[in-house]
Amino acid sequence: MKLTIDGKSVTAKKGQTVLECAKENNISIPNLCTHSSLSPFGACRMCVVEIDGMRGYPTSCTTPAAEAMVVRTDTEELRNLRRNILALIMLEHPSACLVCGRRELCEQFRPDAERAGSTTGCHTCNNKEVCDVRVLADDLGLKDLPVPPVYHERPLERSEPFMDRDLNLCILCGRCVRICKYHQGKSVIDFVGRGSETRIGQAFGRSLLEAGCQFCGSCVDVCPTGSLADRYAKWHGRAEDVTESTCIFCDQACALALAAAGDKLITAQALNESVPLCVLGRFAIPEFLNGGDRLVAPHIRVGEVLRQVEWQEAIEMTALKLSEFTGDNFALVCDATSTLEDRYVLKKFTSEVMKSKNYIEIEPDARGVSRCSLPKGTKAALLTGNFVDTADLEKLEFLIVQDCYPTPASERANAALPAAVFAEVDGTVLDLSGQKRPLRKACEPPGLAKPEWWIISRLAQAMGAKGFDYESAGSISQEAGIADAGLWIDREEAPPAALNLNLRRTYFRGHRIDEKVRGLRELPVDGTCALDEVEVKREGAFQILRKNELAPNVHEIVISAPEVAKKALPGQFIILMVDEQSERVPYTLSGWDAEKGTITLVVLEKGQSSRKLVLLDVNDKLAHVVGPLGVPLEIENYGTVALAAGCYGIAAIAPIAKAMKEAGNRVIAISEARSHYLHYYKDKLRDFCDQFIQTTIDGSMGIKGHAIDALTQKLSDGEKIDRVIAVGCPFMMMVTANETRAYGVKTLAALNPIMLDGTGMCGACRVSVGEKMKFACVDGPFFDAHLIDWDELRDRRAAYSAEEIHSLGRTESVAAAPLSRHKCSCPH
Amino acid sequence: MTSSLQQIFAEAKTKWRRLQESEIPVFFVGAATCGRAAGAAEVLQSLRGHIKAKKVKARVIEVGCLGPCSFEPLVIVHKSGAPRVCYANIGPDEIIHILENYVLGDDPCTKWALGTMTPGQLDGIKDFNEHPMMRRQVRNILRNCGLIDPENVHHYLAREGYRGFLKALEIGPDETLEQVKSAGLRGRGGAGFPTWRKWQFCRDAAGKTKYLICNADEGDPGAFMNRSLIEGDPHAVLEGMLIAAFTLGVSQGYIYCRAEYPLAIHRLETALSQMRELGLLGENIQGSGFSFDLTIKKGAGAFVCGEETALIASIEGRRGMPQPRPPFPAVSGLFEKPTVIQNVETLGNLPLILRNGAGWYTQYGSDSSKGTKTFALAGKIERTGLVEVPLGTTLATIIEQIGGGVPDGKALKAVQTGGPSGGCIPAEKMDLPVDYEALAEAGCIMGSGGMIVLDEDSCMVDIARYFLSFTQAESCGKCSPCRVGTRAMLSILERIAAGEGQMADLEKLEQIARTVKDGSLCGLGQTAPNPVLTTLRYFRDEYVEHIEKGRCPAFVCSAMISYHIDRDRCSGCGACARVCPVEAISGEKKKPHVISQEICIRCGACLGACPSRFAAVYRRSGELIRYEQRKNSRKQQKNKDQLT
Repeated sequence: MKLTIDGKSVTAKKGQTVLECAKENNISIPNLCTHSSLSPFGACRMCVVEIDGMRGYPTSCTTPAAEAMVVRTDTEELRNLRRNILALIMLEHPSACLVCGRRELCEQFRPDAERAGSTTGCHTCNNKEVCDVRVLADDLGLKDLPVPPVYHERPLERSEPFMDRDLNLCILCGRCVRICKYHQGKSVIDFVGRGSETRIGQAFGRSLLEAGCQFCGSCVDVCPTGSLADRYAKWHGRAEDVTESTCIFCDQACALALAAAGDKLITAQALNESVPLCVLGRFAIPEFLNGGDRLVAPHIRVGEVLRQVEWQEAIEMTALKLSEFTGDNFALVCDATSTLEDRYVLKKFTSEVMKSKNYIEIEPDARGVSRCSLPKGTKAALLTGNFVDTADLEKLEFLIVQDCYPTPASERANAALPAAVFAEVDGTVLDLSGQKRPLRKACEPPGLAKPEWWIISRLAQAMGAKGFDYESAGSISQEAGIADAGLWIDREEAPPAALNLNLRRTYFRGHRIDEKVRGLRELPVDGTCALDEVEVKREGAFQILRKNELAPNVHEIVISAPEVAKKALPGQFIILMVDEQSERVPYTLSGWDAEKGTITLVVLEKGQSSRKLVLLDVNDKLAHVVGPLGVPLEIENYGTVALAAGCYGIAAIAPIAKAMKEAGNRVIAISEARSHYLHYYKDKLRDFCDQFIQTTIDGSMGIKGHAIDALTQKLSDGEKIDRVIAVGCPFMMMVTANETRAYGVKTLAALNPIMLDGTGMCGACRVSVGEKMKFACVDGPFFDAHLIDWDELRDRRAAYSAEEIHSLGRTESVAAAPLSRHKCSCPH
Repeated sequence: MTSSLQQIFAEAKTKWRRLQESEIPVFFVGAATCGRAAGAAEVLQSLRGHIKAKKVKARVIEVGCLGPCSFEPLVIVHKSGAPRVCYANIGPDEIIHILENYVLGDDPCTKWALGTMTPGQLDGIKDFNEHPMMRRQVRNILRNCGLIDPENVHHYLAREGYRGFLKALEIGPDETLEQVKSAGLRGRGGAGFPTWRKWQFCRDAAGKTKYLICNADEGDPGAFMNRSLIEGDPHAVLEGMLIAAFTLGVSQGYIYCRAEYPLAIHRLETALSQMRELGLLGENIQGSGFSFDLTIKKGAGAFVCGEETALIASIEGRRGMPQPRPPFPAVSGLFEKPTVIQNVETLGNLPLILRNGAGWYTQYGSDSSKGTKTFALAGKIERTGLVEVPLGTTLATIIEQIGGGVPDGKALKAVQTGGPSGGCIPAEKMDLPVDYEALAEAGCIMGSGGMIVLDEDSCMVDIARYFLSFTQAESCGKCSPCRVGTRAMLSILERIAAGEGQMADLEKLEQIARTVKDGSLCGLGQTAPNPVLTTLRYFRDEYVEHIEKGRCPAFVCSAMISYHIDRDRCSGCGACARVCPVEAISGEKKKPHVISQEICIRCGACLGACPSRFAAVYRRSGELIRYEQRKNSRKQQKNKDQLT
């Protein structure tokens, strides 16, 4: 049928909506709650259009296209309406960064989001790089909010396997509810409550597991904000490379989109829109492949030990010894997790090079268990996985293991060779009906691991065989006549384990998958749950006495540390370690009581270590606290001192304000926060100051803007300010310093680089001040802000970002919380 | 009709006649929910107890709402040989008094009599229908309410019950549709959509399976039209459903009744089983080939489930969240089949139209809006109640003549119609005829019939705030304009009512209101800003006074009111201090007392406690000062007078 959109004549297919028709004709209409695999919902109201003959502003996603319809998608009224609607949506979503006056500058200075616990702005949101809402806000020119926004203060849900949920970011588009219904046929999650209390949740407050969640991850895939996140992948932003491949955890051979950043696999998602993946396909692959104890280098046994060697040596030594065992006293065991190409070469090797008929290929059972016993009389064997009992292995004279993870077999092998598997290799596999499916390399294998066909080919060549000079999996496919492998993108039925995670495989190549992917241990198999008590020993002298979340993501922690409290002076800091394996992290002293022997820290959860700290409870003990460190701030009567503070700085300036006041200064304290609900310590600061000002980025309270804006207002009004002290994130301090420069006011900033020893030895906290190199721990932390190289500070602070991201993903239950959380009343 | 039904009709008529001519006294006690709220249960208990104890030969029948609710409890007394008398404001003692002195004696107890209900003269008692409240009403839809026993189907049958349906069976569905079309019946749920047109869409829709739903959710606060009709005359609604179902070719119907109406649900259940017994429900009704059955579905406490698509979701067992339209329910509704949803009162009109003909029906009403409409008259009005007038009747007639105007000599300020979706019509517009078009032009909607009268002591900012807090709490949460927009508007109104408003707030309010109106998915959101928009349109100066002068001229917004004691008037009796719940008042005996502004919570107890001869407590709002407070309820006063 023919209709007109924005004056353009277009054709629509029967059953299409106006939105679909527009999209096909390259007319873009903003939309948030639509999704290609879901039927229209009409909740976000962004896709409103004008249609002749229809009252009001119908949503194009729900309106069927009709013959001779006249549609307008881009009028002034529509733009205004959409902007106003988006502004309303943004009243219940941390939106200060969208309307910030220094947004561009901030994006330039720090393009990557920081890893906060509770997201309170784009800059600490895991969705920042891929967020549709941000794009919409830009397109529509959203500049301010009509009334102060609301932060619901819903508790973060981070203790369920694989998925983190922050309901404070949810915009109630309903996509997650709808996809769960569509993919799983049931509403594990649904809209709960009414009016302002409306939220997404499970019936009767059950946990996801109790509510029947199969952890297929489809909800995470469709969430337009950072509300639902893949815990392992969430901080990687936009993936650099996406490869289409097949899952080989079982023989359902689901088609996958594998995303990698750097060389590491970070996430796997379904290629097929209409059916979900099972928990293994969706969540287990990256963690499995990135495990810390992967075999990464060839090892050869020398006496009692396995010695690491180069490939050359490993191959040569193995070939030499293996030549002694040709004939039927050699057996080779592999299973279906090796590609067809690998198995072709393995078989060829067994028969042509080893001249043995004992090529054993195991078809794993329903759980993925591949087990066999070696033929009687076997003296040498090559295993590609953990397939054989130790008892059998003891009878061997020579054992080669090429595998991905260490096993009892690899521990007793004469040659343990690291194999590249799964998403690290190209090849072909068979699905349950015998169809060929392609496996495509999506990431680099760890260390020196190599594809199996490569290892065997080199071995064969070293043994003098011909016909093994393969350089790629493709050349093997050709020789073996393996062709016509197609991704299974049109499957109509979900794999059984996607709808019932009890049915999933538990073994891969002889390895228990849940030993490498801890989250799986919380999920039942066969109706029983593998509960795991994890005892975390907490030994230390520094007990947490009090803990309080002052504002979203801002935690006040009072710790017993008498020696520190005795000596602390304004401007100093401590370094702490939560446990013996923790990172050493510096935190400013926001308060101390020499009499009671306590110190107070205000901590923002911004990554691995702060998360560990924040998840502790009262009475837990910290392993180490050292301090007070740093040069105390110079306190004298300067006249008028202005303290500019943001984030943790608001607490940090409290002792400084007090000391400055006692020294006779006129003290002005200006605290900034993204929004009204992020301010704290108002009464406390007011007590120590002559003037106390609050600013908010979104204008929801106090002056609109950053602290520096209130300060420059005073300076330009001619007010005399003798010294400015800025404490906050580097961006805030940089901006403050840049703008006080013009007024010639001495400005100090409290620098916060990464630190290690804190006593001037290691150099981790180097900063450039003027042309000189200084150590923040013994020369600082306060420096002349006009002389600091802010870019360098930023770069040095981000030096280990990649490692931190990966560690965040690996340490699922980072804190003391034991894995055995659920009470097993789940319907599994 | 079948011969058995014919016989039943004859029997019913006989029974009814016998009741009319009853030798023994009959007490018709108005015991619907409104009557019970006024104390009818105690009256029944007292009466029945007395009759039993004294072995009096008398009948007691519980009837529905007669209409004049401010006079409840109402009892119509039938004494053989005399016209029936309707007594008002009857308590458990008064009814015994009447029994002893009038029924068993000669004194008609005129001081409690509202009027005579049947022909005949009784000294000192006028005709009930000449009562100022009743005179201008045309009670067609409500013709049986308060007069018949709603649980006795013979009463309904005797008064032409089910004749309309039988007529429809006779003339066939096409002609029935024509009748409804000619009658110009428009949906009484609020939208005023032509009923015949909705039926036409459904009839034209493809498919054999279709549904009919009666929307008895009645969620508007202050609305009780549908409840009263169901409690007082359930068969009228059910007959209407039969007529509609027959015309539409529907064989399964639902009545979605809110769970907060247990008596109405009970009446419906009783009526349904009576219908089945009479062969008026089920397979092949009266041998016509038309089969129809009804299921009652209870609501679960959500205002939004009064919206068509949310109601459908609720019946289907899903969460009551509306769906965008198209598709319209008439084409794809319940279980994705063509569905017609009608309001209780719309259905109640159908038997009248079919029985009396479209021509009869159109004699009432205005050009665009035919027929009569019931209104729940409440608020600052002398005579509250359930009234029925021809559409096109002016507001002045309803408020001044029927309602008796604003009590206590206060000035009328506005009339709020249409509940939380409606708007306020200012006093200057009392000549407005009440029909769909005229009200829409004035920026309001008729809604389902709620009509709340406001006087000079009503604060329009507070009224808007009240309705908005309702819609905000009832918003289903699906779309942001409604869910967030109502909260945003409410936060501004609360700021203004707390004395923290700014002039820029008014523009913001209007802008958000526009967004909510234009962006919301369903009628709840689209109409939620109406109370704000109409009060801003007609009473902007009140908003401005709150903001610029820091005062609430109606003395309602408690944050802008402070309580004080006039030292010149205070005698130090201590009455106020004794009732103060927070001990904010201090002073020596016989010396002027003082209220601590820091402790005072503005509950107003002191104002009520101060003896009127001193009237020392006064309120201040900005620069305004007010001494007096509203008097006690008129009814309480009246009863006190009458019993002595």
